[in-house]
Amino acid sequence: MADGEKLVFMVTHGPDHPEHATIPFVMAGAALASDVQVVLGFQAGGVELMRTGVADGVEAAGFPPLRKLLDDVRALGALLLVCGPCINSRGIVAPDDLVEGAEVVAAGRFVAEITSATNSMTY
Amino acid sequence: MTATLTELEGLTAAKVIDARGAACPGPLLEAKKGMGTVPVGSVIEIWSTDPVTKTDIGAWSAKVGHEFLGTIVADGYDRVFVTRRK
Repeated sequence: MADGEKLVFMVTHGPDHPEHATIPFVMAGAALASDVQVVLGFQAGGVELMRTGVADGVEAAGFPPLRKLLDDVRALGALLLVCGPCINSRGIVAPDDLVEGAEVVAAGRFVAEITSATNSMTY
Repeated sequence: MTATLTELEGLTAAKVIDARGAACPGPLLEAKKGMGTVPVGSVIEIWSTDPVTKTDIGAWSAKVGHEFLGTIVADGYDRVFVTRRK
C-alpha cells in the first residue's frame, strides 16, 4: 500500500453475533479503500466465519451482507488469517472447510502481524 | 476546500456513481473503485441514500489525498463531489 500503514482487525465473534462479526469487515473495507493494508485475524468463535458457506447467512441490521463484505475485502487484498488451534477444536478441516484465501496460522504469526501494524482492534 | 452550492450545481462529473441503497462501506468502496477510472483532476459524483456518506467521503478524501468539494441534497439522496488529486 502507498503509505505503508497497516491495520489488524481481530475477529472473535461468529455468526451468532452478526454485528460483532460484520463490523470488522466494514472497517477493513474502509481501510482498504484508504490505501491501508489490512489483516483480518480470526480467533475463538470468529473462525466460524471462515468456514465455507457460513458468511452467506450473516447479515447485521444496517450493514451489507457479510458475504458481500468478505468478497470485497478479499478482492482488495485483505489477508485472512485463521487460528489453527481454534479451527481444530471446532472440527474445521483446512483447507477443505475454509473459504478461499483463508490461511491457517498460529500465535506467533498473529504477534508478528500485530507488532508490525500501525494499530490493531479486537471485535 | 469546499465549493459553493452554485459551483457544485455547475459541475459536470467525469463519472457518476449511483450507490443509493448501499450501506456503509458500500458507497466508499464504490467511490474508491470509480476514482480509479477517471483521470487526475476529474470530478466524480457519488449518489448515496446513507446520510453518513458525505462525511465519510470527506474524511476519506482527506486521508488519501483527493479534494472533497461538497454535497448537494437531492430528492431523497445526497450528491457528493470529489476531485481526483493523485
